[in-house]
Amino acid sequence: MKHFLTASLVLLLAGCYPQGPDYAEDTDVVYTTYNEKYKFADKETYAMPDKIVTDVKIKNGDTTFVYMDDKYASKIFDKIEENMTALGYDKVSLDADPDLMLLPAALSTTNYFYSYWYDWWYGYWGWGWYYPPYYTVSSYTTGSFVMVLTDPHEADTSPINRSATAWVSAANGLASYSNDINRVIKSIDQSFKQSPYLTTK
Amino acid sequence: MKRIILSLTILLASASLSMAQSYVDVAYSIGFGTGDMGDFIKKASFRGISFDYRYAVQPNIAIGFNLGWNTFYEEKASDSYQFENATLTGKQYRYSNMVPILATGTYLFSPDEAFCPYAALGIGTMYARRNTDMNLYTIEQEAWPFVLQPEVGVRYQAADKVGVLLNVKYLNGFKAGDFDDTQSYLTLNLGFTFH
Repeated sequence: MKHFLTASLVLLLAGCYPQGPDYAEDTDVVYTTYNEKYKFADKETYAMPDKIVTDVKIKNGDTTFVYMDDKYASKIFDKIEENMTALGYDKVSLDADPDLMLLPAALSTTNYFYSYWYDWWYGYWGWGWYYPPYYTVSSYTTGSFVMVLTDPHEADTSPINRSATAWVSAANGLASYSNDINRVIKSIDQSFKQSPYLTTK
Repeated sequence: MKRIILSLTILLASASLSMAQSYVDVAYSIGFGTGDMGDFIKKASFRGISFDYRYAVQPNIAIGFNLGWNTFYEEKASDSYQFENATLTGKQYRYSNMVPILATGTYLFSPDEAFCPYAALGIGTMYARRNTDMNLYTIEQEAWPFVLQPEVGVRYQAADKVGVLLNVKYLNGFKAGDFDDTQSYLTLNLGFTFH
């Protein structure tokens, strides 16, 4: 009886810990924040660049930008425009003195883990370490998609000649390299959905 | 933790065989969060275990201790959470682990009969931990609150040294540590009792 109880106890405790996320999408989060004093309703127009920066390379003091492939970037721009139009904002070119600038950026970060351990042996001459040690390298990559709304006119009155941010959206999740663009598209919809103050009305 | 609980069980189980007038209860425990804990995790917990050691100082009065472990878990659908001027949307994975460590006093209504109802009160502390997982991060809250645990149950002596047991415990962990509210839950425990 005692053995049965002990055995069932071990099984019970071992099988005890509940599951967490099953898919990379389960880690997706969308964060938005805004300047509460900023009057979004007073604005009518916005401008957007036509490329999305995904990386910045600095080599021998020269800075070059790496841009997202157009086939993905165009989907993202279309989605942003669809949302902004629905809210009542008109897209204009940069030369048309827009009220707002919408700046998207995509970033990916890879975190590496390096772990190792030594195994030891014991023999006639005493004990020692096996060589080489075992080691493993593993990694995970997260992707972020950031949108910033800023008022270019604020730069004129700012002592540092910069515009303050009126609204920021940051979406982040574990990269899976498949369907990730759909997750970005979904995050754009969610960003606008959870920001009801973004409206011309 | 597993090892500690396991060694304690074996220790208690062997101790009980050598002593008369003592009981060891081992039970499967189903938990239901109440109050603030119930708001955090609405789902019942089917991952739990409870141990009791009771030593009879009088035929119908026993003193002893109670150890337990209940793991509550709930996967929340994607939802939006507001913090001042910020909003965060995503799935949350919520965990709550409760490990009570209590001294108990038990009153047995009919100690000489096979069917024995009883009532008990536990006083002590517990390790309470709450994890809210979102994205790749976890928010961890911990506390060692003061705990009061009333308990009612019945034991039925099925054989010479073995019986079955059914009880209900209401664990009340007062506000402490990282928690702004009382952490409380109800458990339904079904198990064996060894004399």
